[in-house]
Amino acid sequence: MFRFYGLLKYSFICIWSVYVIAPFMWAITTSFKDFNSVTGGATYIPWIDFEPTLDGWRQLLLSPSEGGVALVQPYLNSIMVTLLSSAISLVLGTLAAYSLSRFKFKAGFIKNSDITFFFISQRIMPPVVLSLPFFIMLGNLGLLDTLIGLTIVYIVLLLPIAVWIMVDFFNKIPVEIDETALIDGCNPVQAFFRVVLPNSIPGIIVASLFCIIFGWTDFFFAFILTFTEVQLLPVAVVALNSSITPWWSLSAAALISVAPLIIVAFVVERYLSKGNLSGALK
Amino acid sequence: MKLTKLTAFLLGSVVLGGAAHADKWSDMFPHIKNSGDIPGECSYESMSKKDYSGRKLTINTHAVPVMGEPTALHAEQFAKLTGAEVNVIHTPAGDLYSKAMVPFQTGQAPYDIVFGFSQWISDWKQYLEPVPAKYVNMKQMQDVTKSHIDVASWDGTMYQFPIDGDRHYLKYRKDVIDNPEMQAKYKAETGKELRVPQTWKEYGEIATFFNGWDWDNDGELEYGSAEVMAKDNLMFAAFFSRSVAYAKNPRTPGGFFFDLETMEPQVNNPGFVEALTDWVEATKYVPPGGINFTLGDETMSFGGGQTLFSFSWDDAFVAAMEDGSPIKNKVGAAPLPGADKVWNRVTGEWDNEYNQAPYIVWGWASAVAKKSKNHDMAFDYLCFFSNDANHQADIAIGRFGVNPFRKSDFDPDLYVKNQGWDPEIANEYSRTLLDMEEKSKNRVFPLRTPGVAQFTSAVATGTSKALAGQLTPQEALDEVAAEWKKIIARVGEDKLREAYAVGVALEDNLE
Amino acid sequence: MNFKHKYIFLLPGLFVLLAILIFPIGFTVRLSLSSWDSFYPGLDFIGIDNYIRLFSDDPRFWEAFGRLAILSSVTVTLQYVLGFTLAHLVWKDIVFKRFFRVLFLIPMMTTPVIMTVLWRTIFHESLGPINDILSFFDVTPRWLSDETLALVTVMIVEVWQWTPFMFLLLLAGLLSLPKEPYLAAEIDGAGPFRKFVYVTFPLMAPISVGAIIIRLIEASKIMDTIFVMTSGGPGTSTETSSFYIFIKGLREFQMGYSAAMSFTYLVIMIISLTVIANILVKVFVKGN
Repeated sequence: MFRFYGLLKYSFICIWSVYVIAPFMWAITTSFKDFNSVTGGATYIPWIDFEPTLDGWRQLLLSPSEGGVALVQPYLNSIMVTLLSSAISLVLGTLAAYSLSRFKFKAGFIKNSDITFFFISQRIMPPVVLSLPFFIMLGNLGLLDTLIGLTIVYIVLLLPIAVWIMVDFFNKIPVEIDETALIDGCNPVQAFFRVVLPNSIPGIIVASLFCIIFGWTDFFFAFILTFTEVQLLPVAVVALNSSITPWWSLSAAALISVAPLIIVAFVVERYLSKGNLSGALK
Repeated sequence: MKLTKLTAFLLGSVVLGGAAHADKWSDMFPHIKNSGDIPGECSYESMSKKDYSGRKLTINTHAVPVMGEPTALHAEQFAKLTGAEVNVIHTPAGDLYSKAMVPFQTGQAPYDIVFGFSQWISDWKQYLEPVPAKYVNMKQMQDVTKSHIDVASWDGTMYQFPIDGDRHYLKYRKDVIDNPEMQAKYKAETGKELRVPQTWKEYGEIATFFNGWDWDNDGELEYGSAEVMAKDNLMFAAFFSRSVAYAKNPRTPGGFFFDLETMEPQVNNPGFVEALTDWVEATKYVPPGGINFTLGDETMSFGGGQTLFSFSWDDAFVAAMEDGSPIKNKVGAAPLPGADKVWNRVTGEWDNEYNQAPYIVWGWASAVAKKSKNHDMAFDYLCFFSNDANHQADIAIGRFGVNPFRKSDFDPDLYVKNQGWDPEIANEYSRTLLDMEEKSKNRVFPLRTPGVAQFTSAVATGTSKALAGQLTPQEALDEVAAEWKKIIARVGEDKLREAYAVGVALEDNLE
Repeated sequence: MNFKHKYIFLLPGLFVLLAILIFPIGFTVRLSLSSWDSFYPGLDFIGIDNYIRLFSDDPRFWEAFGRLAILSSVTVTLQYVLGFTLAHLVWKDIVFKRFFRVLFLIPMMTTPVIMTVLWRTIFHESLGPINDILSFFDVTPRWLSDETLALVTVMIVEVWQWTPFMFLLLLAGLLSLPKEPYLAAEIDGAGPFRKFVYVTFPLMAPISVGAIIIRLIEASKIMDTIFVMTSGGPGTSTETSSFYIFIKGLREFQMGYSAAMSFTYLVIMIISLTVIANILVKVFVKGN
């Protein structure tokens, strides 16, 4: 019985792993193809099925006048905007989340949960419609096509995430910890920074992860609100989508745009596994 | 003696000097090495005399390579020659419109030059700077064919700078259609002649015959036709190309998309319905997934040798004729098929005679923003982009997407020499295109009214429902016509009539 | 707790958010009361005409909403079930536990737009690998040209992309569960199945509800996948609300109408989500 269960377990894991990896394998092999290798039908193994070339990869480094799409600067821009907006969102969001978890708010009929819901509901609005007003707003402030302008818009996108996750995590940290600190003579601010915060590192890690992911992968706002000075990575990659979709360079671009986040995934996993979560509660 | 020597010396140095002149620019700029710099107001030589150092030019263009690569290349050259700083942004085709319109409508001008589709002219022109007379009167502009000047202008004013030409035409596999074995086989099995199809019905018959078997012995199955059927922003043009033969009646001027007097949409008249019925039938002879083909897929399909026919823009043909293509020099060009009957909307009946008409389809257009502070630089750039030397080099590079639009472009030698085309094919290509551009009397101009994006979006939605089998062709087009009526109500019937009249005038008043 | 401290914590975040948002939201509402169009730009005032049009003359919007409901509920359910299963499987010790944990996180780290382009090539009916392999079994499904299958294809891509989201949250939750209830269950002689139903599942209820709600919000905005793979086609079979709003807004440039649609969408979503949240809480939490 257990054997069967074990077999089932591992089969499921294997199948899912194949599902996860398959697109990347396809991307790797396709990035070495050219027009003829693609139009003749599906091909898989280089040298056996088709003649590999480095065109797809080279296009990522060449400038547009040479037929490529320079991805280096957009790459760096994406990193900067993502990190900056995530950091700000985390700071503001964590503070707000703490107060929503610990204190009681009442302004008329608006309670804690309503305020939390307000934060979260910012995620509901489809970006399409916000694009025009943000465009006008940033235009009037002279912030179009700037890193700062984009960062401001991203804060709107990421702050709700930070708030939501941190509220959940703070709710799981027993109030006794705060009270112990207060009894020891701290004021609430000190209690927060010295005692509660260190215990919520796992939550902060998860929140940062989501902020980074949603910031890094945004396409829409970057597309509408930037022109020449600031180009973000997803926009630059999508700009490869000419009337002939170049399967090869898109595959190569997909692979390198995932790379940095894989590192992030490793970091997150380490913290999860270390069991930082349950340890401090005892 | 002395005089002769002196003369010889002088002559020699002039000749050498002249030759060295052409070499100087093509040495610096290998792009024009075949022709060297060709003299003109916007040649390399002329541009080098301009000094735009310290100034910045910003351009929004399509993704690399189609239009994107030549824009970037010429930007680089321009920067070198004039000292200007030129920034080029690349945008996917579907988003060019919004990327330009959002700033325009909010009063900003981040781009000095915008690239787009020429049919947007009616929506754009209020934000564009008309091309100054100085450029219109240049020799290189006078060389542009009449239909392309018309496409770039509105009511006599040139708003868009011609840098590319586009058209729909029929492409076919010569190695099949002109092949005696295949001809015999076709005749034996169907009793009809195998030839370049003259009507859409014939197109369908031949495509069906050649659908689903390996007729070129490459180990893969081939199919009948590759068409743009994906519900995107280009497929309506494929539909109109199929409709023109059935619905553009030379005996009933005064409107093709609408009846000019009443502004009654015509898009659901029996002519269009017949075309849509043909198109639904076509879903049977396209490759797997063909119903979701974008222009890129069509190019890969026909250009990769998968189908017998194709009929939209130049891209598929150019891809097929690239070096390294397995079907290079095996494809031919011909005018779009016609039809054996054409709808007469005045009499309310079919006129049972052969009818054919080209669809002077829109294509890439470039324009200068009115609010730009760099009009002089912008127009100089566009003029430089399309100067004789650059243009000749550009049309020889298939992936650039720059296609003929000048009378001098239709010289078959260009293609034979520079691209290694078979002379017979080059001749056929040039003749087909030139006939369509300059000599056709019965033709349709693209819809260029305010709100054009809404009209074409309605067409795309309706026709794709028919292709998917959700509605019958008549139901689908009735839905489109109803939507068109609503759009007319929103835009204002008079405003629309005024705009549409401009296009109709071009269709009906031909020299 | 001191009175004024709570505001020091809350206000910076709330204030920043409101400051940035107030103009766009306000503008959107104002926009919805105008007929801003490609040929009539500017904020004229037409009252609630856009809304009237939306409610009386636009079945396409409501069809899109229906499709959205189906798409979101199916994908989120699948993501929840699969995510929970995966999290549970890599929770305790198994071979290569850490490798699998990282692996299962990766799809979420990719940019949806880019991956979807890749998926389009994979599902390409003539040139893609899936149909190539399946053709050995004489089956070549019309992944993107058949109305129902297109929706399924979109779901496949969505599940691939976002299951890690559930996976991560649920795994983090599982790892922070206290040990006592399990010890108690052991003493009671409960097997793995009963442990799950009576200990794990109830303890994970709050996280489950939160994760589902958030995922529902995100799933409803689905744009990239549809935009790249099907453009809402074939016909209109994969057109969802956000895509339709996008077409009307940025393709046809009927900005005023599109703003009205967005605002309506926002209100409907807020109401639906509140209702769904309440239901979920009842089912997950109170049911134990």
